[in-house]
Amino acid sequence: MKYSVMLAAVGVFAAGAAVAQQPIRIGVLYPLTGGGAVYGVPAMAGHQLAVEELNAKGGILGRKIESIERDDKLNPASASSTMKELITKDKVDIVLGGLASSVGLAMSEVSKQEKVVYISTIPKSIQITTDKLHKYVFRTSANTDQEGDTMAMLAGKNKLSKICHLELDYAYGNDLEVGILKALPKYAPDAKIVLTLKPKLGATDFNPFIPQVMAAGCDGVLSGLWGPHFVSWVKQAAPLGFFNKIKWISGGEIGSHEIAGELKGEYPDNVISNAYELWYHGNDPSHAAFQARLAKKLNTQETPQWAALGYIGVMYAAAAMEKAKSTDPDKVAEALEGLSIGTPVGKLTIDAKTHQANIGQFWGPMVKKPDRAYRIMEPAEYIQPK
Amino acid sequence: MSVTEWRVPSHEIASMTLTMFTLNAFYGLALAMNMFIIASGLNLIFGVLRVINFAHGMFYMFGAYITFTVAKSWGAPFFVGVLAAAAALGLIAFAIERLLLRHLYDKEHLMQLLFTFALVLLMSDAAKMIWGTDQYSVGYPPGMGGAIDLGFVVLPQYQLFLCAIGPLIAVAMWLLVDRTRWGRVVRAATQDREMLAALGVNVPMVYAAVFTIGSALAGVGGALAAPRIALVPGMDATIINECFIIVIIGGLGNMWGSFLGALAFGFVVQFGTVLAPNWQDVLPYLLMLVVLLIRPWGLLGRPEAGH
Repeated sequence: MKYSVMLAAVGVFAAGAAVAQQPIRIGVLYPLTGGGAVYGVPAMAGHQLAVEELNAKGGILGRKIESIERDDKLNPASASSTMKELITKDKVDIVLGGLASSVGLAMSEVSKQEKVVYISTIPKSIQITTDKLHKYVFRTSANTDQEGDTMAMLAGKNKLSKICHLELDYAYGNDLEVGILKALPKYAPDAKIVLTLKPKLGATDFNPFIPQVMAAGCDGVLSGLWGPHFVSWVKQAAPLGFFNKIKWISGGEIGSHEIAGELKGEYPDNVISNAYELWYHGNDPSHAAFQARLAKKLNTQETPQWAALGYIGVMYAAAAMEKAKSTDPDKVAEALEGLSIGTPVGKLTIDAKTHQANIGQFWGPMVKKPDRAYRIMEPAEYIQPK
Repeated sequence: MSVTEWRVPSHEIASMTLTMFTLNAFYGLALAMNMFIIASGLNLIFGVLRVINFAHGMFYMFGAYITFTVAKSWGAPFFVGVLAAAAALGLIAFAIERLLLRHLYDKEHLMQLLFTFALVLLMSDAAKMIWGTDQYSVGYPPGMGGAIDLGFVVLPQYQLFLCAIGPLIAVAMWLLVDRTRWGRVVRAATQDREMLAALGVNVPMVYAAVFTIGSALAGVGGALAAPRIALVPGMDATIINECFIIVIIGGLGNMWGSFLGALAFGFVVQFGTVLAPNWQDVLPYLLMLVVLLIRPWGLLGRPEAGH
């Protein structure tokens, strides 16, 4: 009897010691295959960079970080099941990532059910931090209201009177449309939307839409066509002289170097757009060092903007656990509310009520430079929500 | 969300002017021709080998990526890139057929399906290793990046070129299959390959050649699509569905059927998306449904004997 009590006591101590040494597990999902990999892979690189840096400094709460990385396949159903597996099987302490808004919403739902903190690092749908907000979900990327507000402001500033509106027909496009329409009367009261078109997500053929926009007689386009959608549009519309007459004000980070660097001479005139981060232009003293480390990791000077978002997600997770002195989801969630940290794009604060970080974006016209083969954003203005 | 009220009734589209009609018809035709080139390869392979090649979309993607490497990274002329894509895909396909696929002809269809599906996964990983996950862009060939002004309508040059090359390939395939000795052998192979072998024809080599040509067509299709779209991982996924739809509409194994199927697909997608944008996702499937209700064996297909 005595022995068994002693053995049990030893067992308890041993278990306690094992817990203290166990790594902190961060689950992360980005699209690593298929069309979303263009962004998911660099975002994951930023995520890994942050984990490596933290581990080099001793991890979080003195424990090493183990990053468990999964492919969300840009698919909400697949992301849900993978995230559940991360929580139940891999016992992760927190989940980060997502790229598509539809995936972000699905991951938020799992986080709510399983009571595990989820930091949405890229998905922009406003619903994540409004209608579908709950205790465990936080966002460190911009959202569709914020992006829509800036786009409406730019429409006013550029004195657009007849606007054609292009959005992709899914969560992000629909929510961005709402954000723009909400803000437009404030900035451009006289502007009229003469045509709204919604190509499908993943469309490669925009020929059914291009002639309609050209015939509508608008002086500007507000667009949410991101990445490959924008590139395909440019390729099909440019031969018709589309961009000679029409100002293209776009969300979806087509001002990022990923797009400009690939399109090079094919990048059209008259584009004003956004980017989270620009390797050639910083707004914070820490940016240059971050960019240099990223350049070393990725082995290219011209680093992709998505890495910063993956990076910031991990920094927030670490800061919250340090502040909570725990990995308990309830305590970490409380710690995230109102938490401020320094990031490569400046100091950010997560709003305690909306769970939304006040991250901004660079906005500006994409201009040619005599000494460069690709366009750059200049002047790039960092616009942060109030 | 009450977003839809903001949609402007498409009055300009409803009263489609001559200009808009011509432009849309032209775009529909260009899309059809690009799709025909790809689908005709799938159709040829099915017609002779009776193999449904799921990897055909992947061959298309490789065609586009190879064109990118040759024409952009190496700086060769665009059409050298197209030829390189055709040659490379032909070579890859020949190797696949000789080393692997030929063992599966006598197996059940499920084995063949699983095999071509496995090819999709393998090639998708290979593409990731070779080209990474970046997005790529191939420029228009010189002199084809603009448009021609016909007075009442302006037509982009490259799409005009696609409209010309599609029928050329169709006629070339028709001559090859219907007007040459080799074509007769191929057609005979679809009927009775044991008899053909007994007559002294090297049937396995006929099969290998058909698989090579069919796959090279996917490569050419991808190469020709490259200047007008963004090249991204996953670009194979939708194209394979669309090719199946075209081949099924036209009638499995029938080349002119695929041509008609591609035309139907091109016009329905182009005009349908303009007139009923909310239906853009289902339009091709709707087209297939309607055709199959009226002609279950496709436009130019024939009901299979014994069924």
